[in-house]
Amino acid sequence: MSGRQVNAWAAPLLWLSLLLLLALGGDWLEPLLRWSEPDARRVLYPQADLLTLLVRHVQVVAIASGLAVVIGVGAAILVTRPGGRDFLPLVAQFASMGQTFPPVAVLALAVPVLGFGTWPIIVALLLYGLLPIVRNTLAGLEGVDPAVQEAARGMGMGGAQRLWQVELPLAAPVILAGIRTSVTVNIATAALGATVGASNLGAPIIAGIVNNNTAYILQGALMIGLLALVVDSVFARLLPARQ
Amino acid sequence: MIELKGVTKRFGDETAVDAISLTVKPGELCALVGTSGCGKSTTLRMINRLIEHDEGEIHIDGRPIREFDGRLLRRRIGYAIQSTGLFPHWTVARNIGLVPRLLKWPAARVRERVEELMGLLGLPVDQFADRYPAQLSGGQAQRVGVARALAADPDILLMDEPFGALDPITREGLQAELRDLQSRLRKTIVFVTHDMDEALALADRLVVMKAGHIVQQGTPLALLRAPADDFVASLLGGDDRGLKEAAITQVAERMLPLSPRLLPQARVHRDATLRQALAVMFREHADRLAVVDDEAMPIGELSLRRIVGAGRDGSGES
Repeated sequence: MSGRQVNAWAAPLLWLSLLLLLALGGDWLEPLLRWSEPDARRVLYPQADLLTLLVRHVQVVAIASGLAVVIGVGAAILVTRPGGRDFLPLVAQFASMGQTFPPVAVLALAVPVLGFGTWPIIVALLLYGLLPIVRNTLAGLEGVDPAVQEAARGMGMGGAQRLWQVELPLAAPVILAGIRTSVTVNIATAALGATVGASNLGAPIIAGIVNNNTAYILQGALMIGLLALVVDSVFARLLPARQ
Repeated sequence: MIELKGVTKRFGDETAVDAISLTVKPGELCALVGTSGCGKSTTLRMINRLIEHDEGEIHIDGRPIREFDGRLLRRRIGYAIQSTGLFPHWTVARNIGLVPRLLKWPAARVRERVEELMGLLGLPVDQFADRYPAQLSGGQAQRVGVARALAADPDILLMDEPFGALDPITREGLQAELRDLQSRLRKTIVFVTHDMDEALALADRLVVMKAGHIVQQGTPLALLRAPADDFVASLLGGDDRGLKEAAITQVAERMLPLSPRLLPQARVHRDATLRQALAVMFREHADRLAVVDDEAMPIGELSLRRIVGAGRDGSGES
């Protein structure tokens, strides 16, 4: 049993150590990156910055995704209660719109209101991340076997008891899968924030584009990719294949 | 005791149940039968207020059910359904203990009760308590469903085609167990089924419904002998009614106690039904059978003449 658990955590640990290697790694990375950009003056993005940027990146995604989970799951629960059924199509539509609206456009619209910095990207990520969460929470709650619902009611369970003891536990795998999609996509999308002054792992990429330095772009992109893999593999661990 | 007085339920323009009146006495097993959509399930679900009735009154033990909180009412009425509705993420023991826990019984008492019920329903605790519903056969899952319905020891049990999804052998086994259980527990049971043989085998009283009305009600024998109209007659099996009557009458009721005459070779147990006795006669080419008790000792004689009840008034009713 413990052997299996070690195995299960192997993937997240591997990706996490690679990520930290990139963030903390010293001069030994230089030859590797030099290969991609032989002529540049510098190929190593300032290391102290990389770790800060990683933390900022995680913060932004955590705030946006946390809000998206609270709002998305909350809205989906409300519209599947007897009193809120009328709003189900509206909420489903709104979530789809959030997804189809390009995050870049959200950024452009948000900057005049919220100013440069971190807030515009949080808003953009929040909107962008809502759909998978709302859609999966709805699917999960609606997917609970009607016979189970009927029995829960017939045994005399109240609405809150049914929600917490029956519906949410049974819908949890589907809901978590939605959160997983939302968070991993947002880790990548958050890089856009660097264009409007948010400091995160998008910064090396933007700096690389501006200075025509592929090595910077590589470092930013690799770290974002690895961060997404870490989070995704942790979710994979949290979602045991049922049965 | 359950009383329905002029109860009506409409869904939109459609009247699902139309002013029906029905009394189920304490300890009685009342079977609601009829074709699909006749309103029998709706009637059942109005009793525990899963569906609210529009008109009329439903009383339980003399009190209108609207006086109770719906949830509290349902906690004191057992409920078992065809698809069991067991919670797939809970173990068997946890599923059975649901209503006692809702009623805030102490944990030790819940555990004790769960084990008692598992014993009663033939589910060994050490084998089944920690299983999940997906690991049960259909028959086992249905037993758990019945155990869950009985968990808080309700006086009233509502069963909606509980054995409808089972294979014939499992179904008959569970029917026999329910009959046995009922003879000990004496619950007031309302049982919905479209399986006429099941209804005849289990019910103290049959209620035949059609298009939201009660067409006829009475003991199974009374209905078999005097169906109110062609619909009831055909529902009861048409010309097969005779055999169905034979299937719910016991050999012991018709046999002639031990006579000095020479006993025939072919024999039948006294608890067998007349239908089974007829089958033995047909197979053995005999028109007389020896009736035996549990020790295979002859205690009487049964002739074809006595089976068909020539010269009798058919006092098989209890």
